[in-house]
Amino acid sequence: MDTFTFKRAASVAEAVAAATAGVDAKFLAGGQTLLPVMKQGLAAPSDLVSLARVAAMQGIGVNGGMISIGAMMRHADVAAHGEIKALLPALSVLAGGIADPHVRNRGTIGGSLANNDPAADYPAAVLGLGATVVTDRRRIAADDFFQGMFTTALEAGELITRVEFPVPERAGYIKFPHPASRYALVGVMASKSAQGVRVAVTGAGACVFRATALEQALAKSFTPGALDGVAVGADDLTSDRAGSASYRAHLITVLAKRAVARALEVRS
Amino acid sequence: MTELSMTVNGVVRRAAAAPTVLLSTFLRESLKLTGTHVGCDTSQCGACTVIVDGRSIKSCTMLAVEADGAAITTIEGVAKSDGTLHPVQEAFRAHHALQCGFCTPGMVMASVALLAHTPNPTDAQVRHGLEGNMCRCTGYQNIVDAVLAASQSMKGA
Amino acid sequence: MTEHARFGKSQVRVEDQRFLTGQGRYIDDVNRPKQKHAAFVRSPHAHARVVTMDVSAARALPGVALIVTGAEWAARGFGPLPCRSPSKVNRDGTPFKEPTRHCLASDTVRYVGEPVAMVVAGTADEARRAADAVIVEYAELASVTDRAAALGDDAAQLWPEVPNNLCLDFEQGNRAAVEAAMATAKHVVRLDMGNNRLTAVPMEPRGAIADFDAATGQYTLVNCSQNIHANRDLMASMLKIDKAKLHHLAPDIGGGFGAKNSVYSEPVVMLYAASKVGCPIKWIADRTEAFLSDTHGRDQQSTVTLALDEHGKFLALHVDTVGNVGAACGTMGPFTPTGGTARTTGSVYAIPAILYTSKAVFTNTVQTDPYRGAGRPEAVFHVERIVEFAARTLGIDPVALRRQNLIKTEQLPYKTAVGLEIDCGDFPAVMERVLAMSDRPGYAARVATSRAKGLRRGFAVTPYLETSGGAPHEEARLAFRADGTVVLSVGTHSTGMGHETALAQIAADTLGIDLTRIRFVQADTDATSIGGGHGGSRGIEVGGSAVLKVARMVIEKARGIAAHLLNSHVDDITFKAGVLSDTKTGQSVALDAVIAAAGDTSRLPQDMSAGALDTTAKFERETYTVPNGAHACEVEVDPETGVIAVDKFWCVDDFGSVINPMLADGQVMGGIVQGLGQALLEEVVYDPQTGQLLTASLLEYALPRADHVPRMEIAFFEGAPTKRNPLGAKGSGEAGCCGATPVIVNAVLDALHEYGVRHIEMPLTSEKVWSAITGASA
Repeated sequence: MDTFTFKRAASVAEAVAAATAGVDAKFLAGGQTLLPVMKQGLAAPSDLVSLARVAAMQGIGVNGGMISIGAMMRHADVAAHGEIKALLPALSVLAGGIADPHVRNRGTIGGSLANNDPAADYPAAVLGLGATVVTDRRRIAADDFFQGMFTTALEAGELITRVEFPVPERAGYIKFPHPASRYALVGVMASKSAQGVRVAVTGAGACVFRATALEQALAKSFTPGALDGVAVGADDLTSDRAGSASYRAHLITVLAKRAVARALEVRS
Repeated sequence: MTELSMTVNGVVRRAAAAPTVLLSTFLRESLKLTGTHVGCDTSQCGACTVIVDGRSIKSCTMLAVEADGAAITTIEGVAKSDGTLHPVQEAFRAHHALQCGFCTPGMVMASVALLAHTPNPTDAQVRHGLEGNMCRCTGYQNIVDAVLAASQSMKGA
Repeated sequence: MTEHARFGKSQVRVEDQRFLTGQGRYIDDVNRPKQKHAAFVRSPHAHARVVTMDVSAARALPGVALIVTGAEWAARGFGPLPCRSPSKVNRDGTPFKEPTRHCLASDTVRYVGEPVAMVVAGTADEARRAADAVIVEYAELASVTDRAAALGDDAAQLWPEVPNNLCLDFEQGNRAAVEAAMATAKHVVRLDMGNNRLTAVPMEPRGAIADFDAATGQYTLVNCSQNIHANRDLMASMLKIDKAKLHHLAPDIGGGFGAKNSVYSEPVVMLYAASKVGCPIKWIADRTEAFLSDTHGRDQQSTVTLALDEHGKFLALHVDTVGNVGAACGTMGPFTPTGGTARTTGSVYAIPAILYTSKAVFTNTVQTDPYRGAGRPEAVFHVERIVEFAARTLGIDPVALRRQNLIKTEQLPYKTAVGLEIDCGDFPAVMERVLAMSDRPGYAARVATSRAKGLRRGFAVTPYLETSGGAPHEEARLAFRADGTVVLSVGTHSTGMGHETALAQIAADTLGIDLTRIRFVQADTDATSIGGGHGGSRGIEVGGSAVLKVARMVIEKARGIAAHLLNSHVDDITFKAGVLSDTKTGQSVALDAVIAAAGDTSRLPQDMSAGALDTTAKFERETYTVPNGAHACEVEVDPETGVIAVDKFWCVDDFGSVINPMLADGQVMGGIVQGLGQALLEEVVYDPQTGQLLTASLLEYALPRADHVPRMEIAFFEGAPTKRNPLGAKGSGEAGCCGATPVIVNAVLDALHEYGVRHIEMPLTSEKVWSAITGASA
């Protein structure tokens, strides 16, 4: 690993200032993606700004129909949180299915979203539930946040502090894991709320996306059967050894049906 | 180099480390706790699993400097100081849950952590709970049985 | 006379105490004062000429002590990496092709990851940085990585002296009889099938520490190897030194499965470098390096043809294989896809005519060499797939077809058409027992339950046989210390199998002493004069037999000493439960008293002196033993996604006499799960265009995890101990993956039968299964 300057921030302002001061600084949240990449020499930041002691990025709050999750909350925290389990079980299931228990004990929601790996789970949650990404300087709607492979709307030095999830009427998440890495080969979050139906797909393309054909069908009837015969085009999907684009396209519909079925099983 | 201090297996340990040093390297090389093994470089195999502030983590994917001030348990600190094995260790031995022993420290740490938050796991919960730990020798069944047995014996304790 | 040794007890392992408390000592836990670290410069290309190599920038980096280049290695005149393939002769009688492969390539690289230089520096990090700073200019050449493509006239040629990359053109069996049977048989069924390329992935990567003492000229190599003695001899020969000048030993080994058998480049270059820099040199592979440089396994493509008569009786079997040996011969060279697979072709079936033909080919990939089973799993896979396929094609119940064609007990001993001599066993009984375990009456209900969930359930049973024994010679030594410790030194090598317990059990039970008194020493050229290491499931049957022999020799000596102490005649002395007694006088003396006396010349007969009980035995096994058994399993397939879940697994094994059932169970389960890995998950993939290794990390190479694995129910058939060794034991280490791979594939195809799917190549990934279903029903 190439050397870097390690800084520990005590506040959001301090973190942002430290990151801005570095030539090529990066925030260090849980490090579960960043550190392996640095070990391989694929990233060599000048500075790492640890967020572990930033209090404003901690905690989970539930207020009316909104769940606010601190960006430094670990996947295990989200998976185990009682009110999330009760109000938005699809999110606990998603968080509890990321990687493995040890990674879930370190990895954070903010780190995952900022990285925007095309096969990560959390982007499907944020996009599929219409969440809002709160940063040190603004609020970014899910539909505006994810911009491409490992690319987000975040500006240089901009720090995710919290993520706010509106509680939907119903939601379900199904992940089809890659056999080796356990990232999502395809993952589908389907939700229904007053604002409408959302179906977000991760793993299948260069970036998480909404499956509009499926959303339109589900808007008419939020049932698995509504997706019978509704196909997702394979044109822009990923093809690799683990799955061709056509297989992924097929899985999207299958998993969306199962996600809807799960959403209907449990009260969101 | 930064002077780090952490409570490892109940003892305060201090050593200097560069910011790039991983916790696994710090434990193995600075503290000479070589029971923590490194079996891969992509955070998959879990041989390096240790418990930091009550949570199991992969020590190859955490900077030592991030563990400054933490309480850490490694495989060397699982048994009692008089040498009495932890129920999980005892169950691993009784159920032949290890062969080459290389994944074993990580498996034991993962199992201890698993039982701490799920004291009465099902077979499926144990398998899911061990998904971050690879074993190439045992076929896992004896490990699963050992964890289930340990959960019973710990109840009696 | 000695009492017949009694074993067969599940004994918890003595080695577990250190492994469970973090006190194991693996190669990366070993450090030497003043050690430096090595890193290797490896080829980034599958096939290229090395045009220039510039080490000046690397040499200038901090800490760099030495750089050994391929050119220097060649100039020093060291010997090439050896090939010890037992199969060396082409079908036309000419010798096979064995191109010269050196530890460091100098003029041409032939696979991604081939070492071209080694850097020694103060720290591992400095060595890595310096290795990265070595500038090599390559001229890329066309490459070929696929086994079948390599034979083509248009394929890239790896070696000028090897036309069509053909290393060995092998044939075994009776061609005329097979051709005659095929020409006239009522039914001839044929199926193409691959055995996917695998890598062993022991959880501990390879590594070594090399040291040299200039004062004595003595080299020491602490090596993560499972073949200490043989590789000591080979490495000494490569370095052109007296083998007595190379002390080779292994610490605890974190799994091997064959991948730590071969002679590798790295330790040899390190030994040379240690003599140059005058300090110990350490190297530990990272996981990526392990994927690139560990020997791989399997990688065979076969056309299997079975002839049957009108009643379903097997008449002839022909297996025609292309096997990928990699860029050059590994330590066992072309053996695995040739003689190694031929030996057990036909498995447990009475097939009057068998022909095994095989072409071993070079490709731009790392060497293949034995991986758990080394040809026997492939052979079982061939016959079990073709039998299943024949049953489906001809509309016969697969179980009935197997039952009909098994070698019957009354036919034993039986010599197969490829020359394997099966001495004992009861194949029908073993298969019926696994069928009885597998709850056939409840199957229909389970099928219905699965179907109600949208899943398809399938079942299969596959018997198997294999051969075990590995290297034929072994040594065991017992030495008695004044403090009561009994040192047991063996030439076999446990890399996790538990010999420290199982072999000690044999010694302790035979001598009638407590197991805790035994101190176990293995894998050390100073401890035994010879040693076969580990390979071919030989630990118990060969190593254990050597231990039994040496323990019995000790008792014979003890009888002589007891006779002296008791003033008796040696013929009157019997040994039982740790006590030597004179049957005439009733006087007795404990073995421990004899051991004590053996340390004191004054208390010994005139022809003995202190240390008289210390004994070394050499054991040579007869021909291979023939472990066998039958596996059965049920799978559930989700036809919408193609996902397979192995739901139930049963297995009955005939390992002859089982020394420690708990350890044998462990061997079987581990083998089954590696077999499951081959069937469903694992595959080493090189990019067919570039020759790059696409599965170079655990993010890409799928290993079975705890939740992939079904609950396995295992039973032993102990009705047929072999007479080929004094223990009656047959090896257990490789059996699991022989049976598991075909039984899982056959069960999946049973589940997919209604869709018209008749074959899917391994690994049976979900997409392949889904494509087969949609393709077949389209």
